Amino acid sequence: MVPMMSASPDVRIRDSDLVQESLTRPEAFAELFDQYAGMLYRYVSKRIGPDTAEDIVGETFLIAFSRRSRYDQTYGDARPWLFGITTKLISRHYRAEAARYRALLRSPVEPFMENPAERVVAEVAAQAVRPALAGALAALPRRDRDVLLLIAWGDLTYEETARSLGIPVGTVRSRLNRARRTLRKALGDDHPLREET
Amino acid sequence: MDDLTMLRDLGRDLEHEPPAGLVRQRARLLDAAGGGTSRRPTWFARLWAWPVAAVIGAAAITAAAMLVPTLLVKGSSQVAAPLGDRPARVTGTLNVLLVGTDSEVGTPRFRTGQARAETIMLVHLPADRGEVTVVNLPRDSMVATPKCASNGGRPLDKINAIYAEGGMTCLRQTVETLTRVRLDHALAVDFSGFKAIVDALDGVRITVPSAIDDAQAKLRLPAGTHMLDGEQALGYARVRYTVGDGSDVSRIKRQQVLVKALVARAKEKLTDPAAFFEFAGKVRKAVTADTEFDAETQADLFSGLAKADVTAVTVPWEPYPGDRTALAWRQPDADRLFARLNGKSTPTVTPPGGDGRAKTASPPPPSPHQAGRQVHPTPTPTVTPPGGDGREKAVKP
Repeated sequence: MVPMMSASPDVRIRDSDLVQESLTRPEAFAELFDQYAGMLYRYVSKRIGPDTAEDIVGETFLIAFSRRSRYDQTYGDARPWLFGITTKLISRHYRAEAARYRALLRSPVEPFMENPAERVVAEVAAQAVRPALAGALAALPRRDRDVLLLIAWGDLTYEETARSLGIPVGTVRSRLNRARRTLRKALGDDHPLREET
Repeated sequence: MDDLTMLRDLGRDLEHEPPAGLVRQRARLLDAAGGGTSRRPTWFARLWAWPVAAVIGAAAITAAAMLVPTLLVKGSSQVAAPLGDRPARVTGTLNVLLVGTDSEVGTPRFRTGQARAETIMLVHLPADRGEVTVVNLPRDSMVATPKCASNGGRPLDKINAIYAEGGMTCLRQTVETLTRVRLDHALAVDFSGFKAIVDALDGVRITVPSAIDDAQAKLRLPAGTHMLDGEQALGYARVRYTVGDGSDVSRIKRQQVLVKALVARAKEKLTDPAAFFEFAGKVRKAVTADTEFDAETQADLFSGLAKADVTAVTVPWEPYPGDRTALAWRQPDADRLFARLNGKSTPTVTPPGGDGRAKTASPPPPSPHQAGRQVHPTPTPTVTPPGGDGREKAVKP
Protein backbone atom coordinates (compact mmCIF):
# COMPACT_ATOMS: atom_id res chain seq x y z
CA MET A 1 0.00 0.00 0.00
CA VAL A 2 1.63 3.17 -1.19
CA PRO A 3 0.34 6.38 0.29
CA MET A 4 0.02 8.61 -2.74
CA MET A 5 -1.05 11.66 -0.89
CA SER A 6 1.94 12.06 1.36
CA ALA A 7 4.18 14.28 -0.75
CA SER A 8 1.69 16.64 -2.23
CA PRO A 9 0.28 19.44 -0.10
CA ASP A 10 -3.02 19.35 -1.96
CA VAL A 11 -4.19 16.09 -0.53
CA ARG A 12 -5.58 13.92 -3.25
CA ILE A 13 -8.03 11.31 -2.12
CA ARG A 14 -6.95 7.89 -3.25
CA ASP A 15 -9.31 6.10 -5.56
CA SER A 16 -9.32 3.13 -3.24
CA ASP A 17 -10.57 5.36 -0.44
CA LEU A 18 -13.39 6.53 -2.66
CA VAL A 19 -14.30 2.98 -3.49
CA GLN A 20 -14.20 2.16 0.20
CA GLU A 21 -16.33 5.16 1.07
CA SER A 22 -18.84 4.24 -1.60
CA LEU A 23 -19.63 1.06 0.29
CA THR A 24 -21.39 3.12 2.90
CA ARG A 25 -22.04 6.25 0.87
CA PRO A 26 -22.76 5.11 -2.69
CA GLU A 27 -22.75 8.63 -4.12
CA ALA A 28 -19.03 8.83 -3.44
CA PHE A 29 -18.58 6.63 -6.46
CA ALA A 30 -19.63 9.51 -8.67
CA GLU A 31 -16.32 11.16 -7.85
CA LEU A 32 -14.55 8.36 -9.64
CA PHE A 33 -16.74 9.05 -12.60
CA ASP A 34 -15.88 12.73 -12.53
CA GLN A 35 -12.23 11.89 -12.45
CA TYR A 36 -12.02 9.17 -15.06
CA ALA A 37 -15.04 9.22 -17.35
CA GLY A 38 -13.36 11.64 -19.74
CA MET A 39 -10.19 9.58 -19.88
CA LEU A 40 -12.11 6.40 -20.60
CA TYR A 41 -14.25 8.13 -23.16
CA ARG A 42 -11.21 9.32 -25.08
CA TYR A 43 -9.79 5.85 -25.02
CA VAL A 44 -12.93 4.14 -26.21
CA SER A 45 -13.54 6.81 -28.85
CA LYS A 46 -10.18 5.93 -30.35
CA ARG A 47 -10.98 2.27 -30.49
CA ILE A 48 -14.63 2.13 -31.46
CA GLY A 49 -15.59 5.69 -32.18
CA PRO A 50 -17.68 8.27 -30.38
CA ASP A 51 -21.09 6.73 -30.94
CA THR A 52 -20.65 3.71 -28.75
CA ALA A 53 -18.13 5.29 -26.42
CA GLU A 54 -20.65 7.06 -24.25
CA ASP A 55 -22.55 3.88 -23.51
CA ILE A 56 -19.44 1.89 -22.83
CA VAL A 57 -18.21 4.46 -20.35
CA GLY A 58 -21.57 4.40 -18.64
CA GLU A 59 -21.60 0.61 -18.53
CA THR A 60 -18.07 0.56 -17.20
CA PHE A 61 -19.03 2.59 -14.19
CA LEU A 62 -22.19 0.66 -13.57
CA ILE A 63 -20.27 -2.59 -13.58
CA ALA A 64 -17.50 -1.12 -11.47
CA PHE A 65 -20.05 0.13 -9.01
CA SER A 66 -21.69 -3.23 -8.71
CA ARG A 67 -18.32 -4.83 -8.06
CA ARG A 68 -16.94 -2.20 -5.78
CA SER A 69 -17.03 -4.46 -2.73
CA ARG A 70 -14.50 -6.70 -4.44
CA TYR A 71 -12.07 -3.90 -5.21
CA ASP A 72 -8.56 -4.68 -4.08
CA GLN A 73 -7.82 -1.93 -1.58
CA THR A 74 -4.07 -2.34 -1.93
CA TYR A 75 -4.24 -0.43 -5.19
CA GLY A 76 -4.71 3.28 -4.70
CA ASP A 77 -5.18 3.96 -8.39
CA ALA A 78 -8.43 2.69 -9.87
CA ARG A 79 -7.54 3.33 -13.49
CA PRO A 80 -6.32 -0.18 -14.32
CA TRP A 81 -9.44 -1.64 -12.78
CA LEU A 82 -11.68 0.63 -14.84
CA PHE A 83 -9.66 0.08 -18.00
CA GLY A 84 -10.00 -3.64 -17.47
CA ILE A 85 -13.79 -3.43 -17.39
CA THR A 86 -13.80 -1.14 -20.40
CA THR A 87 -11.58 -3.53 -22.31
CA LYS A 88 -14.01 -6.37 -21.69
CA LEU A 89 -16.87 -4.21 -22.91
CA ILE A 90 -14.93 -3.17 -25.98
CA SER A 91 -14.36 -6.81 -26.86
CA ARG A 92 -18.08 -7.12 -27.47
CA HIS A 93 -17.60 -4.65 -30.26
CA TYR A 94 -14.57 -6.17 -31.87
CA ARG A 95 -16.21 -6.24 -35.27
CA ALA A 96 -16.99 -2.56 -35.07
CA GLU A 97 -13.48 -1.90 -33.94
CA ALA A 98 -11.90 -3.81 -36.80
CA ALA A 99 -14.23 -2.11 -39.24
CA ARG A 100 -13.13 1.25 -37.87
CA TYR A 101 -9.49 0.49 -38.56
CA ARG A 102 -10.22 -0.94 -41.95
CA ALA A 103 -12.06 2.25 -42.84
CA LEU A 104 -8.79 4.08 -42.31
CA LEU A 105 -7.21 1.93 -44.98
CA ARG A 106 -9.44 3.60 -47.48
CA SER A 107 -9.24 7.12 -46.11
CA PRO A 108 -7.45 9.44 -48.50
CA VAL A 109 -4.16 10.94 -47.51
CA GLU A 110 -4.68 14.63 -47.07
CA PRO A 111 -2.05 16.72 -48.75
CA PHE A 112 -1.35 19.42 -46.12
CA MET A 113 0.08 21.83 -48.64
CA GLU A 114 0.50 24.75 -46.28
CA ASN A 115 3.43 25.80 -44.14
CA PRO A 116 5.17 25.52 -41.79
CA ALA A 117 7.07 23.11 -43.91
CA GLU A 118 8.63 20.99 -41.22
CA ARG A 119 5.36 20.12 -39.61
CA VAL A 120 3.82 19.46 -42.98
CA VAL A 121 6.43 16.88 -43.78
CA ALA A 122 5.85 15.11 -40.52
CA GLU A 123 2.11 15.11 -40.97
CA VAL A 124 2.21 13.93 -44.53
CA ALA A 125 4.37 11.11 -43.36
CA ALA A 126 2.02 10.37 -40.47
CA GLN A 127 -0.88 10.37 -42.85
CA ALA A 128 0.96 8.09 -45.18
CA VAL A 129 1.59 5.44 -42.53
CA ARG A 130 -1.92 5.55 -41.25
CA PRO A 131 -3.37 2.94 -43.58
CA ALA A 132 -0.51 0.59 -42.78
CA LEU A 133 -0.96 1.09 -39.03
CA ALA A 134 -4.68 0.73 -39.24
CA GLY A 135 -4.39 -2.43 -41.27
CA ALA A 136 -2.05 -3.92 -38.73
CA LEU A 137 -4.36 -3.00 -35.86
CA ALA A 138 -7.31 -4.58 -37.61
CA ALA A 139 -5.35 -7.76 -38.15
CA LEU A 140 -3.96 -8.11 -34.61
CA PRO A 141 -5.35 -10.82 -32.38
CA ARG A 142 -7.63 -9.21 -29.86
CA ARG A 143 -5.54 -10.07 -26.82
CA ASP A 144 -2.45 -8.53 -28.35
CA ARG A 145 -4.35 -5.48 -29.43
CA ASP A 146 -5.74 -4.96 -25.93
CA VAL A 147 -2.25 -4.93 -24.47
CA LEU A 148 -0.81 -2.73 -27.19
CA LEU A 149 -3.56 -0.14 -26.98
CA LEU A 150 -3.78 -0.02 -23.20
CA ILE A 151 -0.15 0.98 -23.30
CA ALA A 152 -0.14 3.22 -26.37
CA TRP A 153 -3.57 4.79 -26.06
CA GLY A 154 -4.46 4.21 -22.43
CA ASP A 155 -1.06 5.32 -21.11
CA LEU A 156 -0.89 2.43 -18.69
CA THR A 157 2.39 0.95 -17.57
CA TYR A 158 3.20 -2.74 -18.08
CA GLU A 159 2.24 -3.44 -14.49
CA GLU A 160 -1.01 -1.55 -14.76
CA THR A 161 -1.86 -3.31 -18.00
CA ALA A 162 -1.20 -6.63 -16.33
CA ARG A 163 -3.52 -5.70 -13.51
CA SER A 164 -6.14 -4.48 -15.94
CA LEU A 165 -6.27 -7.70 -17.85
CA GLY A 166 -5.54 -10.00 -14.96
CA ILE A 167 -2.44 -11.44 -16.59
CA PRO A 168 1.21 -11.63 -15.50
CA VAL A 169 3.53 -8.79 -16.48
CA GLY A 170 5.58 -11.26 -18.49
CA THR A 171 2.59 -11.99 -20.65
CA VAL A 172 2.07 -8.27 -21.17
CA ARG A 173 5.63 -7.98 -22.41
CA SER A 174 5.39 -10.88 -24.79
CA ARG A 175 2.07 -9.77 -26.21
CA LEU A 176 3.33 -6.23 -26.61
CA ASN A 177 6.44 -7.39 -28.40
CA ARG A 178 4.45 -9.56 -30.73
CA ALA A 179 2.06 -6.73 -31.50
CA ARG A 180 4.84 -4.27 -32.15
CA ARG A 181 6.56 -6.71 -34.48
CA THR A 182 3.36 -6.87 -36.49
CA LEU A 183 3.17 -3.09 -36.57
CA ARG A 184 6.75 -2.68 -37.71
CA LYS A 185 6.28 -5.31 -40.34
CA ALA A 186 3.20 -3.53 -41.63
CA LEU A 187 5.05 -0.25 -41.70
CA GLY A 188 7.65 -1.97 -43.81
CA ASP A 189 11.28 -1.21 -44.42
CA ASP A 190 10.53 1.73 -46.64
CA HIS A 191 8.20 3.67 -44.36
CA PRO A 192 8.93 7.37 -44.71
CA LEU A 193 10.24 8.05 -41.25
CA ARG A 194 12.39 5.03 -40.81
CA GLU A 195 15.66 6.94 -41.09
CA GLU A 196 14.65 9.13 -38.16
CA THR A 197 14.10 6.22 -35.87
CA MET B 1 9.83 8.08 -34.64
CA ASP B 2 9.02 4.54 -33.66
CA ASP B 3 5.94 2.44 -34.16
CA LEU B 4 4.46 3.30 -30.76
CA THR B 5 4.83 7.03 -31.40
CA MET B 6 3.11 6.65 -34.73
CA LEU B 7 0.42 4.62 -33.10
CA ARG B 8 -0.07 7.34 -30.50
CA ASP B 9 -0.39 9.92 -33.27
CA LEU B 10 -2.99 7.81 -34.94
CA GLY B 11 -4.80 7.59 -31.62
CA ARG B 12 -4.86 11.35 -31.32
CA ASP B 13 -6.41 11.55 -34.77
CA LEU B 14 -9.10 9.09 -33.82
CA GLU B 15 -9.78 10.55 -30.41
CA HIS B 16 -12.95 12.42 -29.56
CA GLU B 17 -13.46 14.77 -26.66
CA PRO B 18 -16.07 13.68 -24.13
CA PRO B 19 -19.40 15.17 -25.10
CA ALA B 20 -21.64 17.01 -22.71
CA GLY B 21 -24.00 14.08 -22.95
CA LEU B 22 -21.58 12.04 -20.91
CA VAL B 23 -23.23 13.44 -17.81
CA ARG B 24 -26.16 11.24 -18.65
CA GLN B 25 -23.96 8.29 -17.87
CA ARG B 26 -23.08 9.87 -14.57
CA ALA B 27 -26.76 10.15 -13.86
CA ARG B 28 -27.15 6.48 -14.68
CA LEU B 29 -24.49 5.73 -12.15
CA LEU B 30 -26.04 7.94 -9.52
CA ASP B 31 -29.32 6.27 -10.14
CA ALA B 32 -27.73 2.92 -9.52
CA ALA B 33 -25.98 4.34 -6.49
CA GLY B 34 -29.30 5.54 -5.20
CA GLY B 35 -30.37 1.94 -5.26
CA GLY B 36 -33.53 3.02 -6.97
CA THR B 37 -35.07 -0.02 -8.49
CA SER B 38 -38.27 1.95 -8.56
CA ARG B 39 -36.82 4.45 -10.94
CA ARG B 40 -35.91 3.53 -14.43
CA PRO B 41 -32.29 4.29 -15.17
CA THR B 42 -33.11 6.20 -18.30
CA TRP B 43 -35.23 8.42 -16.20
CA PHE B 44 -32.48 10.19 -14.40
CA ALA B 45 -30.25 9.74 -17.35
CA ARG B 46 -32.48 11.68 -19.62
CA LEU B 47 -32.72 14.53 -17.21
CA TRP B 48 -29.23 15.43 -18.01
CA ALA B 49 -29.94 16.17 -21.58
CA TRP B 50 -31.80 19.20 -20.51
CA PRO B 51 -29.74 21.00 -17.92
CA VAL B 52 -26.67 20.74 -20.04
CA ALA B 53 -28.36 22.01 -23.13
CA ALA B 54 -30.40 24.69 -21.50
CA VAL B 55 -28.31 25.85 -18.63
CA ILE B 56 -25.31 26.24 -20.83
CA GLY B 57 -27.31 27.01 -23.92
CA ALA B 58 -27.93 30.52 -25.04
CA ALA B 59 -31.68 30.68 -25.34
CA ALA B 60 -33.17 32.91 -22.71
CA ILE B 61 -36.08 30.77 -21.87
CA THR B 62 -39.10 31.99 -20.10
CA ALA B 63 -40.85 28.73 -19.85
CA ALA B 64 -37.81 26.66 -19.16
CA ALA B 65 -37.21 28.00 -15.72
CA MET B 66 -40.73 27.33 -14.75
CA LEU B 67 -40.38 23.91 -16.21
CA VAL B 68 -37.08 23.06 -14.61
CA PRO B 69 -39.13 21.78 -11.71
CA THR B 70 -40.68 19.11 -13.80
CA LEU B 71 -37.33 17.46 -14.14
CA LEU B 72 -37.92 15.44 -11.06
CA VAL B 73 -41.62 15.49 -10.94
CA LYS B 74 -43.68 12.81 -9.40
CA GLY B 75 -47.04 12.12 -10.89
CA SER B 76 -50.15 12.66 -8.83
CA SER B 77 -53.62 11.40 -9.42
CA GLN B 78 -54.77 14.81 -8.25
CA VAL B 79 -53.76 16.04 -11.64
CA ALA B 80 -55.94 13.63 -13.50
CA ALA B 81 -56.77 13.84 -17.14
CA PRO B 82 -60.22 15.20 -17.83
CA LEU B 83 -62.83 12.71 -18.87
CA GLY B 84 -65.32 13.02 -21.64
CA ASP B 85 -65.10 14.93 -24.83
CA ARG B 86 -61.76 16.63 -25.26
CA PRO B 87 -60.14 18.64 -28.02
CA ALA B 88 -58.51 16.52 -30.66
CA ARG B 89 -54.83 15.92 -30.40
CA VAL B 90 -52.77 17.63 -33.03
CA THR B 91 -50.17 15.13 -34.05
CA GLY B 92 -46.73 15.99 -32.84
CA THR B 93 -47.57 19.01 -30.74
CA LEU B 94 -47.10 19.10 -27.02
CA ASN B 95 -49.24 21.34 -24.85
CA VAL B 96 -48.72 21.67 -21.14
CA LEU B 97 -50.85 23.52 -18.65
CA LEU B 98 -48.70 25.10 -15.99
CA VAL B 99 -50.14 26.49 -12.79
CA GLY B 100 -48.35 28.39 -10.07
CA THR B 101 -50.29 27.96 -6.85
CA ASP B 102 -50.30 29.86 -3.60
CA SER B 103 -50.94 26.88 -1.42
CA GLU B 104 -48.34 28.17 0.98
CA VAL B 105 -50.47 31.06 2.12
CA GLY B 106 -53.53 28.97 1.70
CA THR B 107 -53.24 26.76 4.71
CA PRO B 108 -55.46 28.35 7.33
CA ARG B 109 -57.15 31.12 5.54
CA PHE B 110 -58.72 29.80 2.44
CA ARG B 111 -62.15 28.38 2.45
CA THR B 112 -61.78 24.78 1.54
CA GLY B 113 -58.12 24.78 2.21
CA GLN B 114 -57.66 24.77 -1.50
CA ALA B 115 -54.84 26.52 -3.19
CA ARG B 116 -55.48 29.34 -5.57
CA ALA B 117 -53.89 29.65 -8.93
CA GLU B 118 -51.60 32.66 -9.05
CA THR B 119 -50.26 32.00 -12.47
CA ILE B 120 -51.76 29.98 -15.27
CA MET B 121 -49.82 29.31 -18.43
CA LEU B 122 -50.22 27.22 -21.49
CA VAL B 123 -46.92 26.02 -22.87
CA HIS B 124 -47.10 25.02 -26.49
CA LEU B 125 -44.49 23.10 -28.46
CA PRO B 126 -45.34 22.82 -32.16
CA ALA B 127 -44.80 19.60 -34.02
CA ASP B 128 -41.52 20.81 -35.52
CA ARG B 129 -40.42 22.09 -32.09
CA GLY B 130 -39.21 25.19 -33.86
CA GLU B 131 -40.71 27.80 -31.57
CA VAL B 132 -42.20 27.47 -28.14
CA THR B 133 -45.13 29.67 -27.22
CA VAL B 134 -46.03 30.36 -23.63
CA VAL B 135 -49.48 31.86 -23.28
CA ASN B 136 -50.29 33.47 -19.97
CA LEU B 137 -53.90 33.12 -19.02
CA PRO B 138 -54.54 35.91 -16.50
CA ARG B 139 -56.02 34.50 -13.33
CA ASP B 140 -58.72 37.14 -13.31
CA SER B 141 -60.10 36.00 -16.65
CA MET B 142 -63.86 35.62 -16.44
CA VAL B 143 -64.89 32.26 -17.82
CA ALA B 144 -67.98 30.13 -17.94
CA THR B 145 -68.24 27.95 -14.86
CA PRO B 146 -67.79 24.33 -15.79
CA LYS B 147 -69.69 21.51 -14.14
CA CYS B 148 -66.69 20.33 -12.26
CA ALA B 149 -66.52 23.52 -10.21
CA SER B 150 -69.36 24.12 -7.82
CA ASN B 151 -69.28 27.81 -7.04
CA GLY B 152 -72.77 28.41 -5.78
CA GLY B 153 -74.31 28.44 -9.20
CA ARG B 154 -72.63 31.53 -10.62
CA PRO B 155 -72.60 31.09 -14.39
CA LEU B 156 -69.32 32.94 -14.71
CA ASP B 157 -66.28 33.00 -12.53
CA LYS B 158 -62.65 33.99 -12.50
CA ILE B 159 -60.44 31.27 -13.82
CA ASN B 160 -58.45 31.00 -10.60
CA ALA B 161 -61.65 30.43 -8.69
CA ILE B 162 -62.33 27.50 -10.99
CA TYR B 163 -59.01 26.09 -9.93
CA ALA B 164 -59.76 26.70 -6.28
CA GLU B 165 -63.12 24.99 -6.55
CA GLY B 166 -62.46 22.20 -8.95
CA GLY B 167 -58.76 21.57 -8.72
CA MET B 168 -56.27 20.88 -11.40
CA THR B 169 -58.35 18.43 -13.38
CA CYS B 170 -61.22 20.84 -13.56
CA LEU B 171 -59.00 23.73 -14.57
CA ARG B 172 -57.45 21.62 -17.26
CA GLN B 173 -60.84 20.71 -18.59
CA THR B 174 -61.95 24.34 -18.49
CA VAL B 175 -58.91 25.56 -20.36
CA GLU B 176 -59.37 22.82 -22.92
CA THR B 177 -62.95 23.85 -23.43
CA LEU B 178 -62.03 27.50 -23.75
CA THR B 179 -59.10 27.12 -26.04
CA ARG B 180 -59.91 23.90 -27.91
CA VAL B 181 -56.27 23.10 -27.36
CA ARG B 182 -55.61 19.60 -26.16
CA LEU B 183 -53.63 19.83 -22.94
CA ASP B 184 -51.43 16.80 -22.97
CA HIS B 185 -50.14 17.43 -19.49
CA ALA B 186 -50.73 19.57 -16.46
CA LEU B 187 -48.24 20.70 -13.85
CA ALA B 188 -48.69 22.60 -10.63
CA VAL B 189 -45.84 24.54 -9.08
CA ASP B 190 -46.22 25.46 -5.45
CA PHE B 191 -44.92 28.92 -4.64
CA SER B 192 -43.50 27.88 -1.31
CA GLY B 193 -41.46 25.45 -3.34
CA PHE B 194 -40.59 28.29 -5.62
CA LYS B 195 -39.11 30.06 -2.63
CA ALA B 196 -36.95 27.05 -1.91
CA ILE B 197 -35.88 26.97 -5.54
CA VAL B 198 -34.68 30.58 -5.39
CA ASP B 199 -32.85 29.92 -2.16
CA ALA B 200 -31.23 26.87 -3.68
CA LEU B 201 -29.76 29.23 -6.25
CA ASP B 202 -28.60 31.61 -3.50
CA GLY B 203 -31.02 34.23 -4.70
CA VAL B 204 -31.98 35.85 -7.91
CA ARG B 205 -30.92 39.22 -9.34
CA ILE B 206 -33.73 41.62 -10.14
CA THR B 207 -33.67 45.24 -11.19
CA VAL B 208 -36.59 47.33 -10.06
CA PRO B 209 -37.11 50.65 -11.82
CA SER B 210 -38.81 52.27 -8.85
CA ALA B 211 -39.02 51.53 -5.15
CA ILE B 212 -41.41 48.87 -3.95
CA ASP B 213 -43.10 49.02 -0.57
CA ASP B 214 -45.82 46.47 -0.39
CA ALA B 215 -47.08 45.33 2.96
CA GLN B 216 -49.26 42.62 1.54
CA ALA B 217 -46.42 41.01 -0.33
CA LYS B 218 -44.06 41.83 2.55
CA LEU B 219 -41.60 43.44 0.22
CA ARG B 220 -39.68 46.69 0.50
CA LEU B 221 -37.05 47.46 -2.07
CA PRO B 222 -35.43 50.72 -3.14
CA ALA B 223 -35.03 51.27 -6.88
CA GLY B 224 -32.03 49.50 -8.35
CA THR B 225 -30.65 46.01 -8.74
CA HIS B 226 -31.08 43.58 -5.90
CA MET B 227 -30.26 40.03 -5.06
CA LEU B 228 -33.56 38.71 -3.79
CA ASP B 229 -33.83 35.69 -1.56
CA GLY B 230 -36.67 33.24 -1.93
CA GLU B 231 -39.05 35.13 0.30
CA GLN B 232 -38.41 38.41 -1.47
CA ALA B 233 -38.61 36.86 -4.90
CA LEU B 234 -41.93 35.38 -4.00
CA GLY B 235 -43.06 38.79 -2.77
CA TYR B 236 -41.89 40.33 -6.00
CA ALA B 237 -43.91 37.81 -7.95
CA ARG B 238 -46.94 38.63 -5.85
CA VAL B 239 -46.79 42.42 -5.55
CA ARG B 240 -49.85 43.72 -7.14
CA TYR B 241 -51.35 46.87 -5.80
CA THR B 242 -48.33 49.00 -5.21
CA VAL B 243 -46.41 48.51 -8.42
CA GLY B 244 -47.30 49.25 -12.00
CA ASP B 245 -50.96 49.64 -12.81
CA GLY B 246 -52.04 47.20 -10.13
CA SER B 247 -53.37 44.71 -12.60
CA ASP B 248 -52.74 41.06 -12.85
CA VAL B 249 -51.33 41.69 -16.28
CA SER B 250 -48.51 43.87 -15.01
CA ARG B 251 -47.87 41.24 -12.38
CA ILE B 252 -47.52 38.67 -15.10
CA LYS B 253 -44.88 40.85 -16.70
CA ARG B 254 -42.95 40.92 -13.47
CA GLN B 255 -43.22 37.20 -13.18
CA GLN B 256 -41.74 36.88 -16.61
CA VAL B 257 -38.88 39.13 -15.56
CA LEU B 258 -38.42 36.93 -12.54
CA VAL B 259 -38.42 33.76 -14.52
CA LYS B 260 -35.82 35.13 -16.90
CA ALA B 261 -33.67 36.20 -13.99
CA LEU B 262 -34.07 32.73 -12.57
CA VAL B 263 -32.84 31.17 -15.79
CA ALA B 264 -29.86 33.51 -15.83
CA ARG B 265 -29.09 32.61 -12.23
CA ALA B 266 -29.43 28.91 -12.91
CA LYS B 267 -26.88 29.25 -15.69
CA GLU B 268 -24.50 30.88 -13.24
CA LYS B 269 -24.98 28.49 -10.39
CA LEU B 270 -25.79 25.08 -11.73
CA THR B 271 -22.49 24.43 -13.32
CA ASP B 272 -21.68 21.15 -11.67
CA PRO B 273 -23.75 18.03 -11.28
CA ALA B 274 -23.76 18.12 -7.50
CA ALA B 275 -25.27 21.58 -7.47
CA PHE B 276 -27.79 20.53 -10.02
CA PHE B 277 -28.93 17.53 -8.07
CA GLU B 278 -29.28 19.49 -4.90
CA PHE B 279 -31.30 22.02 -6.81
CA ALA B 280 -33.40 19.38 -8.49
CA GLY B 281 -34.18 17.77 -5.17
CA LYS B 282 -35.69 20.99 -3.86
CA VAL B 283 -37.54 21.52 -7.07
CA ARG B 284 -39.03 18.10 -6.90
CA LYS B 285 -40.90 18.90 -3.75
CA ALA B 286 -42.48 21.91 -5.33
CA VAL B 287 -44.03 20.37 -8.38
CA THR B 288 -46.90 18.06 -9.04
CA ALA B 289 -47.70 16.65 -12.43
CA ASP B 290 -50.15 14.31 -14.00
CA THR B 291 -49.23 10.67 -13.84
CA GLU B 292 -48.54 10.48 -17.53
CA PHE B 293 -45.89 13.14 -17.45
CA ASP B 294 -43.23 10.51 -17.83
CA ALA B 295 -39.57 10.54 -18.61
CA GLU B 296 -40.14 10.39 -22.33
CA THR B 297 -42.36 13.43 -22.21
CA GLN B 298 -39.99 15.30 -19.98
CA ALA B 299 -37.10 14.61 -22.25
CA ASP B 300 -39.17 15.69 -25.21
CA LEU B 301 -40.27 18.85 -23.49
CA PHE B 302 -36.87 19.87 -22.30
CA SER B 303 -35.01 19.15 -25.45
CA GLY B 304 -37.70 21.14 -27.24
CA LEU B 305 -37.36 24.01 -24.84
CA ALA B 306 -33.63 23.95 -24.89
CA LYS B 307 -33.40 24.24 -28.63
CA ALA B 308 -36.30 26.46 -29.50
CA ASP B 309 -36.96 30.15 -29.19
CA VAL B 310 -39.57 30.91 -26.61
CA THR B 311 -42.21 33.53 -27.14
CA ALA B 312 -44.20 34.59 -24.11
CA VAL B 313 -47.56 36.19 -24.75
CA THR B 314 -50.61 37.02 -22.72
CA VAL B 315 -53.91 35.96 -24.10
CA PRO B 316 -55.55 38.98 -25.79
CA TRP B 317 -57.87 40.52 -23.24
CA GLU B 318 -60.12 43.48 -22.53
CA PRO B 319 -61.69 44.91 -19.39
CA TYR B 320 -64.63 42.96 -18.13
CA PRO B 321 -67.68 45.18 -17.90
CA GLY B 322 -69.16 45.18 -14.45
CA ASP B 323 -66.11 44.01 -12.50
CA ARG B 324 -63.08 46.20 -12.40
CA THR B 325 -60.94 43.40 -11.05
CA ALA B 326 -61.80 41.02 -13.83
CA LEU B 327 -60.99 40.80 -17.49
CA ALA B 328 -62.37 38.97 -20.46
CA TRP B 329 -60.54 37.40 -23.35
CA ARG B 330 -60.78 39.58 -26.42
CA GLN B 331 -62.40 37.86 -29.35
CA PRO B 332 -61.76 36.94 -32.02
CA ASP B 333 -58.06 37.56 -31.23
CA ALA B 334 -57.90 35.01 -28.45
CA ASP B 335 -59.50 32.33 -30.57
CA ARG B 336 -57.11 33.09 -33.38
CA LEU B 337 -54.18 32.69 -31.08
CA PHE B 338 -55.35 29.27 -29.94
CA ALA B 339 -56.28 28.23 -33.45
CA ARG B 340 -52.72 29.03 -34.43
CA LEU B 341 -51.47 26.75 -31.69
CA ASN B 342 -53.59 24.01 -33.15
CA GLY B 343 -51.97 24.62 -36.50
CA LYS B 344 -54.41 25.99 -39.01
CA SER B 345 -53.01 23.79 -41.73
CA THR B 346 -53.48 20.64 -39.71
CA PRO B 347 -56.83 19.10 -40.61
CA THR B 348 -57.52 17.39 -37.35
CA VAL B 349 -60.73 15.62 -36.62
CA THR B 350 -62.96 18.20 -35.03
CA PRO B 351 -64.58 16.70 -32.00
CA PRO B 352 -68.33 16.74 -31.78
CA GLY B 353 -69.62 20.07 -30.60
CA GLY B 354 -66.52 21.78 -31.83
CA ASP B 355 -68.69 24.43 -33.34
CA GLY B 356 -70.43 25.44 -30.20
CA ARG B 357 -67.20 26.45 -28.66
CA ALA B 358 -67.18 28.06 -25.34
CA LYS B 359 -65.98 31.61 -25.22
CA THR B 360 -64.99 33.49 -22.18
CA ALA B 361 -67.81 35.29 -20.50
CA SER B 362 -70.40 33.32 -22.35
CA PRO B 363 -72.93 30.84 -21.02
CA PRO B 364 -71.65 27.45 -19.92
CA PRO B 365 -70.79 25.11 -22.77
CA PRO B 366 -72.57 21.83 -23.24
CA SER B 367 -71.34 19.49 -20.59
CA PRO B 368 -68.21 17.80 -21.71
CA HIS B 369 -69.41 14.60 -20.13
CA GLN B 370 -72.61 14.24 -22.00
CA ALA B 371 -71.07 12.72 -25.04
CA GLY B 372 -69.91 9.87 -22.88
CA ARG B 373 -66.95 9.33 -25.11
CA GLN B 374 -63.96 8.79 -22.98
CA VAL B 375 -61.12 9.94 -25.11
CA HIS B 376 -58.60 9.46 -22.43
CA PRO B 377 -57.83 6.02 -21.10
CA THR B 378 -56.84 7.09 -17.62
CA PRO B 379 -59.09 5.47 -15.06
CA THR B 380 -59.30 8.49 -12.82
CA PRO B 381 -62.30 10.20 -11.37
CA THR B 382 -63.57 13.26 -13.18
CA VAL B 383 -63.31 15.57 -10.27
CA THR B 384 -60.92 15.01 -7.46
CA PRO B 385 -62.19 16.11 -4.10
CA PRO B 386 -60.66 19.35 -2.95
CA GLY B 387 -57.92 18.98 -0.43
CA GLY B 388 -57.79 15.25 -0.76
CA ASP B 389 -55.10 13.61 1.24
CA GLY B 390 -51.96 11.99 0.08
CA ARG B 391 -51.16 14.75 -2.29
CA GLU B 392 -48.01 16.57 -2.95
CA LYS B 393 -47.48 20.12 -2.01
CA ALA B 394 -49.17 21.72 -4.93
CA VAL B 395 -52.45 21.81 -3.17
CA LYS B 396 -52.11 21.53 0.53
CA PRO B 397 -55.05 20.47 2.62
